[in-house]
Amino acid sequence: MYSLLFKSFFRTKIFLVSLVLLVTVGIISILIGKQYLVKQEKAIVAAQEFQEESIKRNVEYHNDDLGLLLYYLRFTLIKKPSNISAISIGQSDVNPLLQAVTIRGLEGQKYDTDFENPSLLMSGNLDLGFVIIYLFPLVLIAMTFNLYSEEKELGTWRILAAQTSGKAGFLFKKLLVRIGFVFIILLFLMFMASMLLQIPMNQNFWAIFLQGILYVLFWSALCLWIVSLLKNSSFNALALISIWVVLTILLPAMVNNYVLNRYQVPEALDAMVEQRDGYHEKWDLEKDATMTGFYEAYPQYKKYTVPEDKFSWIWYYGMQHMGDLAAKNMSAEMIEKIMLRTTVSEKVALFVPTMHAQLSFNNLTGTDMVSHLNFLKALTEYHENLRLHFYPKIFENNPADVIDWKTHNTKIYSSKRDFSWMRLMLPTLLIVLIIAIFGVLNLRKL
Amino acid sequence: MRKRSIYLLASQLWKDAFRSKIMVIALGLMVFLLLFSAYSGWENYHDQNHTRDVIQDEVQQSWENNPDKHPHRMAHYGSFAFRLKHVLSVFDVGMENFVGNAVFLEAHKQNTVNFSEASMSTGLLRFGEVSLAMLLKVIVPLLIFYLGFASIARERENGTLKLLIGQGISRKEIVFGKVLGLWGLSLIFLFSVFLVVLFFVLIESYDTLYKDSLFRFVILFISYMLFFAILSAITILVSASSKTAKGALVKLLGIWLLFVIILPKSLQAIGYYLYPTPSKIEMETAVEHDLIQQGDSHNPDDPHFKALKDSVLLANNVKSVEDLPFNYGGFVMAKGEALSTAIYLEHQERLYQVYNKQNNIERNSAFLNPYTAIKNVSMAFSGTNFQSFLHFKDKAEAYRYKLAQQMNQLQMDFIPNKGKAGPNTISSKYWKEFPPFEYRFLSISSIFRNELRSILALLLWGVLAIFGLLKVSTNLKAI
Repeated sequence: MYSLLFKSFFRTKIFLVSLVLLVTVGIISILIGKQYLVKQEKAIVAAQEFQEESIKRNVEYHNDDLGLLLYYLRFTLIKKPSNISAISIGQSDVNPLLQAVTIRGLEGQKYDTDFENPSLLMSGNLDLGFVIIYLFPLVLIAMTFNLYSEEKELGTWRILAAQTSGKAGFLFKKLLVRIGFVFIILLFLMFMASMLLQIPMNQNFWAIFLQGILYVLFWSALCLWIVSLLKNSSFNALALISIWVVLTILLPAMVNNYVLNRYQVPEALDAMVEQRDGYHEKWDLEKDATMTGFYEAYPQYKKYTVPEDKFSWIWYYGMQHMGDLAAKNMSAEMIEKIMLRTTVSEKVALFVPTMHAQLSFNNLTGTDMVSHLNFLKALTEYHENLRLHFYPKIFENNPADVIDWKTHNTKIYSSKRDFSWMRLMLPTLLIVLIIAIFGVLNLRKL
Repeated sequence: MRKRSIYLLASQLWKDAFRSKIMVIALGLMVFLLLFSAYSGWENYHDQNHTRDVIQDEVQQSWENNPDKHPHRMAHYGSFAFRLKHVLSVFDVGMENFVGNAVFLEAHKQNTVNFSEASMSTGLLRFGEVSLAMLLKVIVPLLIFYLGFASIARERENGTLKLLIGQGISRKEIVFGKVLGLWGLSLIFLFSVFLVVLFFVLIESYDTLYKDSLFRFVILFISYMLFFAILSAITILVSASSKTAKGALVKLLGIWLLFVIILPKSLQAIGYYLYPTPSKIEMETAVEHDLIQQGDSHNPDDPHFKALKDSVLLANNVKSVEDLPFNYGGFVMAKGEALSTAIYLEHQERLYQVYNKQNNIERNSAFLNPYTAIKNVSMAFSGTNFQSFLHFKDKAEAYRYKLAQQMNQLQMDFIPNKGKAGPNTISSKYWKEFPPFEYRFLSISSIFRNELRSILALLLWGVLAIFGLLKVSTNLKAI
């Protein structure tokens, strides 16, 4: 029975079109992921060279003035690129992979963006995640919308009905053959991705794979349900494409619009201005206005006094730090708002498998907003450590060669985040079951 | 062709459409989506612009309120430029959320334009955004296909086509009547969206902007009318040349997916794949490299600036820089700023050229894909495309340069050289004299120049559609 179903399926035009479409676009998406990784590698090498080179040159120019030297020097923190991120590039094209900062105020440097073509950002990356979320359902729809209606319209259904004992069973088997075909392509593409992108088959990889399977099952269940209504082909095609448009375009976009408007972030702009003013106004104030706050933040530097009548580096870096402190609250509020956007989106996504799949992919590959916020947190710590390392040497007016510059290479930040299998799988699984039950119940009346 | 029979056929399509469930659902959905996107677009536009306006004013206030000080302090104090949205961004949000909104303008350094909405969003942004233009570009085409796929094919299946022809109605009249009817249906959606947009344009455009916005509005309106006419023609063409209504529907759905989803995205991805861009750190390295080669004002032994010094001394007939009639530090900084800015802009230009190459693949596909044509026309005239952003960025950079150089000039004119007597600060009145940052949108003539290709493609599609209809009506099979 199955071998016959397979044979008849392989002979259809749609089988060939789907196979070619999914495999070509799938491979292209993997290659695009590859290029994204190469670009990251190049940026990391460039950052390393840039830092070495600029330290060497500036140490030469300003050896006698460490305070001035460190005014110029930039130190790089790099988010460790992981190959799995090529599967779902997510937000990592919008948010920079690395940040090169001076020990001056951080707020003014923290949010600097990398260059990326906005047209590309708008159109989004054609990564494997996109292929799974957008194209796989389309192929499923194309293969199953006339599962029953075609037989009916061609007049073969009555012959079939006369010859098979279980009419519903026959439709199930027909559907199973098609779902199986899509699974095999998914398996093939995941395997290719793992090979070409050298992704280790770790927990996150399998989580993406299983989420992908579940997502395909969700669309299979939907197709089954529409087929089970026993309407004509045109109705099925129309209904399924409409559902696809609602689930992959309209609904997520509307939720996104809502979240952006509901939680606007004017704090970002305020923080930017506050940090500048917090720093610059100190130039026109008594030195105490800076130093009281700075000593309060770092009492260990109280022993370094500030000359009242002339410029000193402790006062300068104190002023810089005051800028950061002035913007601190606003900045924290901004992060809070962004987190709110994330949690609200994730909650809504639990009920919508398309959104859930996209957000889970980004989460599992470390290309989501939370991952970037963690990087920013690490950057803040990194910046503070640098400052605390350099401050005493600057304040003691040491020359530049007291510091072993060779140890100041770019630094790699790597994060580890756990995920919950329950939260990942359960929502979609439940939705699949509910829809499938409705479909099966309908078909039993056949 | 007789007007009467065309009109009759068109109105018949209307009647059929309003009797069908699809139209009822479509209308309900569209009303809901229209209200939602008008509200959310307006709220976004209004709130964001309000926030930015207020902050821009505050920034100007604090600039002017600075006490007497050394002009170079003010060059570092700098200013900010906040990007304002065009009122038509309510209609087409375009790249609005993917480009930065605020940039710090200071001496010596071109900062990035930060805080794009995308940089503060979740992964959902990848699904796109709902805007009034998105409804017209993405959803309505699908509705046109839904409403029109059966028009001729089903008449043929039912045998009514044969009857029509038998009654003396020409094939041309049938085809054009159906197109007119379908186009008329799509214009219901078009008019209702543009009525809402007109309302926003009228309440938001004051004095000089008034004419400009209205003109943009009219161009957008005409473009979308043409776009819908093309889509109606495609629908009827496919319906007329398909054996069954089902076949027509499947073909049309395929065309929609290809035009709206698959082609634009893949071509953009291919552009990105073919023309790789440098990361920021790579470009900064290259800029610094060129700067060191041509003249590094931070290097005390730089040959370029040494030569400059010698020539200045010679020209002014003095022995040391302290004796110059102007502040030498200000002079060096002015030269350094000019040099570093020129080098930076040159590299930036090269980067933009790569972007252009990346985008051109997709943009040129407007000749194959009318959706791409309307997409680019729509974004451009709504002030939400890449060129509009670059225009802002250029204006902000020009302002930054002017500010830095003005401060350098003040330093040259009023600050004494090292070792000479005189005040080290200048009066705060000079800050007030420096004009604030004011942004003007790209002029309509330059938008026309930028989008000539897309407009041309759209017109070509219009001509092609008419030819196609003429051809199909001569070959229309009755059974």
